[in-house]
Amino acid sequence: MKYEQVIGLEVHCELKTKSKMFSSSPVSFAKTPNTMVNEIDFSMPGIMPSVNKKAVEYALRVCHALHTEIDDLICFDRKNYYYSDLPKGFQITQQQRPIGKNGYLDIIVDNQKKRIEIERLHMEEDTAKQTHFDDYTLIDYNRAGIPLIEIVTKPVLRNGKEAAIYLEKLRQIFLYTEVSDAKLEEGSMRCDINLSLRPIGSKQLGVRTEIKNLNSISNVQKAIEYEASRQEKILLSKKEVIQETRRYDEGLRKTVLMRSKGNSVDYKYYSEPNILPIRLSQKWIKSIKNHLNMMPDVREDLYIHKYHLSSIDAKKIVSSKELSDFFNETVLLSQHYQIICNWLLGDVLAYLNKHHLKLNQTLLTPSYLSTLINLIEEEVISSKQAKQVFEIMMKEGKDPRIIIEEKNMKQISNKEELTFIINQILDKNTESLIDYFHGKDRVIGYLVGQIMKETRGQANPKSTNELLIQLLEERKG
Amino acid sequence: MITYSIEELHELLKSGQLDIYQYYDELFKEMDFQQERLNAFVTLTKDYAYKNLDILKWDGLLNHIPFVLKDNFSTKDIKTTASSQMLNNYIPVFNAHVVNQLYQHGAILTAKASMDELGMGNSNKTALTGPVRNPWDVNRIAGGSSGGSVAAVASGVVPFALGTDTGDSIRKPAGYCGVVGFKPTWGRISRYGVIPYASSLDHVGAITRNVRDMAIVIGVLSGRDDKDMTSSFKEVPHYLKNLDSNIQGIKIAVLKTVNDEVKNPKIKENFESILQILREKRTILEEVEIDKELLKCVLPTYTIIANCEALSNHSCLDGIKYGNRQDGQGIEDIMIQSRTHGFSSSIKRRFILGSIALASENQEKMFRKAQKVRRIIVDEVNCILSKYDIIITPNSGKIAPLLEEEEDRLSDEYIILENHLMLGNFTGTPCMSLPCGFVDNMPISIQLMGRLFEEQKVFNVAYALEEVLGFKNQYCKGKDKDEV
Repeated sequence: MKYEQVIGLEVHCELKTKSKMFSSSPVSFAKTPNTMVNEIDFSMPGIMPSVNKKAVEYALRVCHALHTEIDDLICFDRKNYYYSDLPKGFQITQQQRPIGKNGYLDIIVDNQKKRIEIERLHMEEDTAKQTHFDDYTLIDYNRAGIPLIEIVTKPVLRNGKEAAIYLEKLRQIFLYTEVSDAKLEEGSMRCDINLSLRPIGSKQLGVRTEIKNLNSISNVQKAIEYEASRQEKILLSKKEVIQETRRYDEGLRKTVLMRSKGNSVDYKYYSEPNILPIRLSQKWIKSIKNHLNMMPDVREDLYIHKYHLSSIDAKKIVSSKELSDFFNETVLLSQHYQIICNWLLGDVLAYLNKHHLKLNQTLLTPSYLSTLINLIEEEVISSKQAKQVFEIMMKEGKDPRIIIEEKNMKQISNKEELTFIINQILDKNTESLIDYFHGKDRVIGYLVGQIMKETRGQANPKSTNELLIQLLEERKG
Repeated sequence: MITYSIEELHELLKSGQLDIYQYYDELFKEMDFQQERLNAFVTLTKDYAYKNLDILKWDGLLNHIPFVLKDNFSTKDIKTTASSQMLNNYIPVFNAHVVNQLYQHGAILTAKASMDELGMGNSNKTALTGPVRNPWDVNRIAGGSSGGSVAAVASGVVPFALGTDTGDSIRKPAGYCGVVGFKPTWGRISRYGVIPYASSLDHVGAITRNVRDMAIVIGVLSGRDDKDMTSSFKEVPHYLKNLDSNIQGIKIAVLKTVNDEVKNPKIKENFESILQILREKRTILEEVEIDKELLKCVLPTYTIIANCEALSNHSCLDGIKYGNRQDGQGIEDIMIQSRTHGFSSSIKRRFILGSIALASENQEKMFRKAQKVRRIIVDEVNCILSKYDIIITPNSGKIAPLLEEEEDRLSDEYIILENHLMLGNFTGTPCMSLPCGFVDNMPISIQLMGRLFEEQKVFNVAYALEEVLGFKNQYCKGKDKDEV
């Protein structure tokens, strides 16, 4: 029998708001443990939650980007369970009424568009971070209370590759809406997988397992592939898959049992009595939509159709929001779209890779880059000179025009000036002239070198070449 | 030591007629005596008080006025136990919002007062430090859960104390001890930093010996606090300035269904005399009824909602972050051991009940049903309040019980009369218990309930009654009584 995979993903994303979901202590990563906390994060008796408006705004941005319906009545619920990383003994979440539902995200799989339906998007708070040792556990409450959004797909994914593409696309959404740095390896984006198999053609869902502890998109794909084959083997040997929670062990490259569903917890959800329902104004919801950044799909389309970039180039640029933003600003200053693209994907990326930098960590501005490109196109400097200017520009953050001035790098393109210089050189090199008259074309290279030497490389190479040949022919005559 | 009202004390201290340090020396001597007699306090904050006497300078009415806090108000650097073994060594790192308010107005904290464990009880017999005795008769209970706070005011040591009221926890003991107990509208006073019992029913309130003092204290406590999202933005009226004993034309509903359950003829008679005064004050007095069966639902509805909310409100008490941690095999076992050891059996019973009522298989028929019944009851009360300014009832059908006395929990008198104060917690409306006489040498009270955010009307009716009744500023020191 042949089976098909039925996969749903639950993605948690930490929002990079200034303060936490329900307290005023700062959201910050990699700070000394238990320093970014107040009494609320420790859940001292008597504390009460105050909803962070910015977190609601961030959640709404993602709702808009994922085309969900939006519930304008914000309600929170208590999810009750005991665990040492959960200071209150309950988590404040949105069980009954998620802020967003019934959305979608389109992905491209093997050149085919596929619509991934989003069941719900809700807000909640993060738990404390635990580090387990042999005989003790350390708890860092810096993470406790950081705003989270959880996005749940319908069980519409069919294989690991689709899941990976969806996650990458969703990550892009988080980055483009500027709500999170969305790093799986650092836990600011987390993914749980729900996976079951069913005979192809069947409408019924099989018994599913849940897989946790995935710290990269590629591991999500690997975990799905492993788990699907594990379940298939079970089904083919006429046994039953057991509903349980598993985790992906990176070392073993296997999913291993965490806990069986038999001892699952009853979360006893009920509405949070300390937060009365909050009615959002339609005006605010709309203004968040209007201020939303352009999403990657739209940008890609724009690059291809308006700026005539190839689909490959357009994809490369939108793969980084920083690069895409930079491109968008630069094209406002220079019309040489393809050349801007070439510089960004060529020299700029190479420079960043070489120095392990991000674009915003350099001194490059769209204005400098466009100026540089315009100078080349106007033949003020040669491409070779441009490379030198670029290096200095990146290091010192100077306007290319100033660099050219300072280094005395202007290209000599003026015909009269060049003619004068070339004639001087020809006068000094009568032997080369004779060689040329005897058909030895290679002296041209030597003469160009002499001209460049004389002008310290400032002579426009193309014009120089043309003029030199012209003047040589004249003297021949 | 002579006992004063807030305004008297303010004048005497301000004019220098009373030496502030001499006064506080006597006050703490008196507190030691009352502690021996009543067992009302968990912690005396003597050092803290003297330190603040030196620092604080303020011109308001509460400047240098001593007060007592129920031990569920978080006080920075001062032990806050909620009278539970679980928090016996807990010292908060922050103040409850209202504590900051009182400090800012120059009031001086003199003690943290005993209460029923975590506020869950009505006798104050479940406190970790033992029962609190009634200042008028030490063989009787002060009532609970704000028993310590009420006893402190009723014994004359401090002019006011703060309490909390989830079912009747300020009003019932205030009635048993002959002082004024008041909880304003839910949302009028911030609950931030108050160790909760059941959030949707919890109210912060106060205990004083007269209505003017109550108007002063509630005025200071009220107002929006951004840390409590349920606190109201509504402007706080100047309750004291607006006090008016002319209550002519105010419409008062006498809740017959509750009143009918009073069996004690002396209390019945007293209640009639109160109504007579109100008639003489030319208020519009009418009898109203609520379906008796609905009133019988008040207690079970309360029990389910309160215990469900209490369950999660107290889930933070797991021995991991603070509180008494017991050893155990692994994290889960530590939590189980800590909670088993930290709570008394009555608390555990409540948690189990809450847990059952919230369990997903029961939630619809228990917790959600209780919420629906609450809504029906609230609608019923609001219907009366749409036609009347005030609802008046006897605060209780009996005087404070003896320490060893057990209530008959199956009688209609108990189920309807003794639990009707919870109506004010369901609705969140302002409610005051006001001393109205003596029966068998023990004080008794009436309850006045007003509309949401109409505290002033409740104050004014109480003010008018107080003027006529003459039970203003009463207290029982014991020592004086023994001498007489």
